[in-house]
Amino acid sequence: MVVLELEESSLLLDEKLLRFMDQLELLEEKRAALNSLIEQGWFSMSKARYSMGNKRVSALQYASEIEPLVCVHARTLENGEVDFCTERSKQKARDEAGKEARSIEDIGPQEEGVRRRNKPKNDIPEKKEGEEASSEKAPEVTPIRRIIELSAEIATLQTAILNSRQELKQCRKDKPILQEVSATRLEKLTD
Amino acid sequence: MAELSFNKDHGYLEGLVRGMKAGILTDTDYHNLAQCDTLDDMKLHLQSTDYGKMLSSSEEDLTVSLVDSKLRENLVTEFSCLRSNALPPLSNFLDYITYSYMIDNVVMLITGALKQRDVAEVLPRCHPLGAFDQMAAVGIARTPTELYSAILVDTPLGREAVSDTNLDEMEAEILRSKLFKFEADRRAFIITVNSFGTDLSGADRSVLYPSCGKLYPEGLQLLARAEDHEQVKAVADCYPGYKIIFDDPEPESGCKTLEDRFFEQEVKLNTLAFLQQFHFGVFYSYIKLKEQESRNIVWIAE
Repeated sequence: MVVLELEESSLLLDEKLLRFMDQLELLEEKRAALNSLIEQGWFSMSKARYSMGNKRVSALQYASEIEPLVCVHARTLENGEVDFCTERSKQKARDEAGKEARSIEDIGPQEEGVRRRNKPKNDIPEKKEGEEASSEKAPEVTPIRRIIELSAEIATLQTAILNSRQELKQCRKDKPILQEVSATRLEKLTD
Repeated sequence: MAELSFNKDHGYLEGLVRGMKAGILTDTDYHNLAQCDTLDDMKLHLQSTDYGKMLSSSEEDLTVSLVDSKLRENLVTEFSCLRSNALPPLSNFLDYITYSYMIDNVVMLITGALKQRDVAEVLPRCHPLGAFDQMAAVGIARTPTELYSAILVDTPLGREAVSDTNLDEMEAEILRSKLFKFEADRRAFIITVNSFGTDLSGADRSVLYPSCGKLYPEGLQLLARAEDHEQVKAVADCYPGYKIIFDDPEPESGCKTLEDRFFEQEVKLNTLAFLQQFHFGVFYSYIKLKEQESRNIVWIAE
């Protein structure tokens, strides 16, 4: 009976070890993909700065207060794992926002002042780069969205890896105990 | 007959700018810079060029933005040297060169004000060649009228090209277009190509086009109606100088954007300016070539 338990324990340990290795390998791949996308982003920014000039590709293109396009929600499950999900923020139209009651007093001229060019509200940052506009269709998943998804996947995977490591440690602690018990019983039987 | 008396007032400066032009980086210099692995290596290589100890004199950590600001400082020093020794009409011509930078600075300050950025944050980003005394006050203005009447009316922009009836972000783009034919045509092409896929309609686009250049007026009317890259190419095919820019690239040239090709053509034209004497074009061409050199160095650094 004890021998059976020992065998099962060994199999379980092997299974957990293999799973741990697979998770590590997957994490390595996802990190490499994330790094590659971020490098592409920096390269695109450099190309945009070369074409358009440093002044037109800088933090000045964004307002001092920016609303997020994507929110990340995290929650802890019953088994202790942390789960993530991303949600695209709902953007309100300019007219609707003006009608709502504002918690912050708007100080400034009420009339049209120095006007700004009308831009679509759902303009994503990557469209402001200075590369030649292509008539081809944009890829289905934009690089920024892919980066956000990858980041969430990596965070989930890292939590899973930590849990796997914990389980592996526990299994390794239990195995010597089972081996000792098994050895003791074998001695009794042979006596 | 102006050539006979050109050297009397402007000969020294023309000689000076031709000497400075000889110090522009060559293919060998770019090849060496492209081989560098770190910014310190680049600094070492730049010391053997006309830039000399430009980067060594700074005690700050070497970053790309520091390299960029030092390059700009170098250009401003050279320009100031030329401007301070220039007599009319060369001095007026050099002032006209600075107007484009002034317009860029005004647009940047207006953009910063619209994004509710502090003036102290935006001012250091302005180009020093376009600096004018009333610059810091641009962000305070609340309406175009106030901007013109309180601030710009006393500046060179106010005297030469700007009025309160045409001043806002879009009109400032138009002012930029009143400079030179090639610049004007390039802006028209770039505005057209970059407007594809945005809310900028053909009618809105045509307002941004300059009123000078080879494309004016027929080419610009065709560009306003263009809906895709092929139609823009068809317009460019009517002008030999621009046909080569839009032609299919050679296989070994790599992936060049439209901007890259315009930069190449601009450099060719600016280099040709030095083949003739007794004209002010060499000063403008030198500034543009130095700007391209700065862009190249920053690109390699990044």
